[in-house]
Amino acid sequence: MPNQTDSLIIKICGSAGDGSISAVEILNRACALMGFHIMNFDSYPAEIRGFGKSVGHTRISRSPVLTPGRLADCLVSLNDVHAITELSRITPDAVILYDSKPPDYVEEDHAIAGFIQPGMTGYGIPLRDLSTQAVKSSRSRNIVALGALAAIYNMSLDAFMEAIAIRFSRKAAAVMKNNETALKLGHDFIVQHGERPARIDLQAQHWTRTDISIISGNEAAAQGALDAGLSFYAGYPITPATKIMEYLAKKLPGRNGVVVQTEDEISAIGHVVGAGYAGKRAMTATSGPGFCLMTETLNLAVEAEIGIVVIDCMRGGPSTGLPTKTEQSDLYLAVYGGSGDSPRIVLAPADVTECYTLTRRAFEVAEAFQTPVIILMDFFLSNRFEDLPGSIFESFRSGVFEKIQAIAGDDPYLRFAITDSGISPVAYPGMKGLQHTITGLEHSPNGFPNYDGDNHRRMDAKRQRKIDNIRFAWPSPEEIGSPDRADAGIISWGSSIGAAMEAIRHPDLSGAAIAGFFPRLLYPIQDGALKQFSDRCAELIVVELNSSGQMAGMVEQITSRKVIRLAEVPAEPPAVESIVRQIQGVLK
Amino acid sequence: MKPPHIVIIGNGVSANRASEVLRENDPDVRITLISREFFLFYFRHKLPAFITGSIDEDSLIVHDLHFYMDRNIRLRLGQTVQKIDLENKTLFLSHMEMVHYDKLLICSGGQSHIPEIYYPFRSFFTTLKKLSDARDIRKKLPLINRIVIVGGDLTSLRLADALIRSGREVSFILDDFAFWPIESGPDIRHALETALKKVGATVISGDPLERIERISDGDPPEYAVYTRKGQQLRAQMVGAFFGFKPDVDFLIRSGLDIDRGILVDDRLQTTYPDVFAAGDCAQVYAPHLNNYWVSIGWKNAIMLGEIAAANMSGSEQPVSMPVEQRIRFSDLQLKTPWWHAL
Ligand SMILES: Cc1cc2nc3c(=O)[nH]c(=O)nc-3n(C[C@H](O)[C@H](O)[C@H](O)COP(=O)(O)OP(=O)(O)OC[C@H]3O[C@@H](n4cnc5c(N)ncnc54)[C@H](O)[C@@H]3O)c2cc1C
Repeated sequence: MPNQTDSLIIKICGSAGDGSISAVEILNRACALMGFHIMNFDSYPAEIRGFGKSVGHTRISRSPVLTPGRLADCLVSLNDVHAITELSRITPDAVILYDSKPPDYVEEDHAIAGFIQPGMTGYGIPLRDLSTQAVKSSRSRNIVALGALAAIYNMSLDAFMEAIAIRFSRKAAAVMKNNETALKLGHDFIVQHGERPARIDLQAQHWTRTDISIISGNEAAAQGALDAGLSFYAGYPITPATKIMEYLAKKLPGRNGVVVQTEDEISAIGHVVGAGYAGKRAMTATSGPGFCLMTETLNLAVEAEIGIVVIDCMRGGPSTGLPTKTEQSDLYLAVYGGSGDSPRIVLAPADVTECYTLTRRAFEVAEAFQTPVIILMDFFLSNRFEDLPGSIFESFRSGVFEKIQAIAGDDPYLRFAITDSGISPVAYPGMKGLQHTITGLEHSPNGFPNYDGDNHRRMDAKRQRKIDNIRFAWPSPEEIGSPDRADAGIISWGSSIGAAMEAIRHPDLSGAAIAGFFPRLLYPIQDGALKQFSDRCAELIVVELNSSGQMAGMVEQITSRKVIRLAEVPAEPPAVESIVRQIQGVLK
Repeated sequence: MKPPHIVIIGNGVSANRASEVLRENDPDVRITLISREFFLFYFRHKLPAFITGSIDEDSLIVHDLHFYMDRNIRLRLGQTVQKIDLENKTLFLSHMEMVHYDKLLICSGGQSHIPEIYYPFRSFFTTLKKLSDARDIRKKLPLINRIVIVGGDLTSLRLADALIRSGREVSFILDDFAFWPIESGPDIRHALETALKKVGATVISGDPLERIERISDGDPPEYAVYTRKGQQLRAQMVGAFFGFKPDVDFLIRSGLDIDRGILVDDRLQTTYPDVFAAGDCAQVYAPHLNNYWVSIGWKNAIMLGEIAAANMSGSEQPVSMPVEQRIRFSDLQLKTPWWHAL
């Protein structure tokens, strides 16, 4: 396969309503059925989906996909004016597929065919005409284009038929039939009129995989919460987190759970802390601006030792910032954003699978450590789709972290008993013999307000101690690349890990001694492992999407050395190429 | 103010030379070249050598993309001008885009000429004008042993020579219509016959083509070629080589004056202001003859492109009639003002 490493990148671009996103969904499904791995990340420049340009971007590969890649091998235009703006993001030998028979002449430079350069291959296909032939309207131009793609890249038409059947399963049988016709017309047009570029041939066999889910990071996180036994969700809509609430609103009531859409984020977390206090598995999800509003109540959960899960789907900030652009700039907010010494556990998944597994695990951790667990996702991770084998859901091993339940005895119950581990056995309201008080005020072990300095010191230490202990129970950070001395050590977190990994394995860096360190537990960071990693690396480069280098700052604090910050805010996922260049600079 | 937009239809030698001169004369003017061929500017006379595999595609290229980038010339390749609205100075491209111009230069070149009496067999004929034709022939060639060439223009001589050298059997049916643009009298035909035989071709002269039948649809297909006097030849490819004529069909209803080519005065201006034509597509007025001439040939196309560009930039240069040159093929010697030995 061409392009970056071994993959094919297809972009389908149109205006809202042209069906570019649903075409990409069908393409994803078909490719997954054929046994390919996919990563799909759509973009909507408008603040709200459904207006203006929309671009479906999918990377198809025989091996697991780490990043969506930048330059597309193929651009499908369902709207030339929008697609022309994507021309800077395609390879010099890209395939461009466009409507050769639009209804009217367009003004100069409004037709993508006018921009096809030597080296590229243009396929003019009468998308509208063929769609009209199939469904009596231009609505299925996207499906005609898919049929053409299947022919151009020699993909299994059966897999596309199956994907269409899945996509339209809830529609009338005629809708499915018509779309199948549209697909075939597009396919046959290429077979009859076009030569396939032999350079790219997916040589797909008849499809075999059936147990694949294609889900987004948000859906995976929501499903992880459901499978963890979520009982209560409260939230206030915000891009890019809203999908989590939408997903749960559909599914949680069926599992005897409750979803509440509150009037704002302060109320949402208030509800969640209340449910956590009652011993329920409770969660909210938001983005940076909403998370800011939640911090005060989050502190209450820290002080009152209530386990809850909060997902922050980060976007460009500060303030309303860049609602539909990805960024990893809430790390400091998640780790340090509270009054007083307010330790909390912060996790960050690297991919869609981990959105599922880490969210599911987060509930155990929150309950066992009686503290808020914050999961840092971001726009890119929330909205990207990946193929997940069904086994991910079944093979999850629950019960790694378990809560210590209080047992009623003769002595009065001390809800906040000082222990070596820092964890006090927990009880919930209504449990006989375990009545207790909780408050946001500093308190004695029995929960009563206590402002004594000595008590405060012991309580602060206990809360920090219990959280620090997770470092020893949590799996070691993932390390890749050179196992011994390395000229460059790459550290990254969250959704940037994929790009960092791809950079380390990039052919331009083959032969160099490079190592990677990729924690999922960001706070408390596993400092022992980090120091060891640091000791074996001549230079440390921290890759993240924020301008100050927030993780870099944390690493410097722990390792007491200067690191190279590859901290950027390009408003899109990090570019493998720029990481590679940076590493090359260090190696020189 | 936006700089004026000069559009050139064509990306052949006259178009390229014109664009170069236009840019030298004015650094700011917007220049766009439009060509329906999806390939960079190339040497057409090298196509026979490409067909037989003695050179590759890269060695055909005259200008790579940098030529255009360096001169800030927009190159639109693979785009066909379907029609022109001369009143509104707008070109209509087949992919449904409009392009507006302030000045237009038409350098649409020539196309393979097939005499009308042979129209019924058009679909059987292979012609050679464009790189895509050459690619097609090159692809088919490994399966082809026998080729019949009807006509016999200057292009076919070079192609025949290359094909024979690569081990193919080539038969010519020399024709009265052949050899356009050169007037071919009996003595030229005789000299040509001798020259062709000398390079190893079988030649039928004075017995023109009567009909062609496709006798098998295999890959490659097999044709039976019959002459008027009843000779029958078998071939897997039948080439038609009757010279080139100006490629102006798309302009027929435009309002431009068209005869064989686009009629232009000796400044290369058409009957419409701001519209010029140069190269093989132009039919140029010669005041001293009070008549028009068409040139099919590389060097004259350069000269015409250059003069058209100068006049579009404000000069008043007249074109002078090209002078006769001597060209050779094997022992054959010809004199022509159009075609040059390249
Ligand atoms: C095989 C071969 C061998 C030759 N050998 C010789 C030789 O030895 N000596 C010699 O002097 N001459 C030779 N010639 C002839 C010579 O190549 C031509 O005279 C010369 O190329 C003419 O240049 P031009 O710029 O006028 O047009 P062309 O080179 O024909 O270019 C015409 C351009 O116009 C474009 N065009 C046409 N119509 C449209 C449209 N509607 N929309 C968009 N674009 C359009 C075409 O795509 C092309 O780019 C040979 C020609 C061939 C084919």
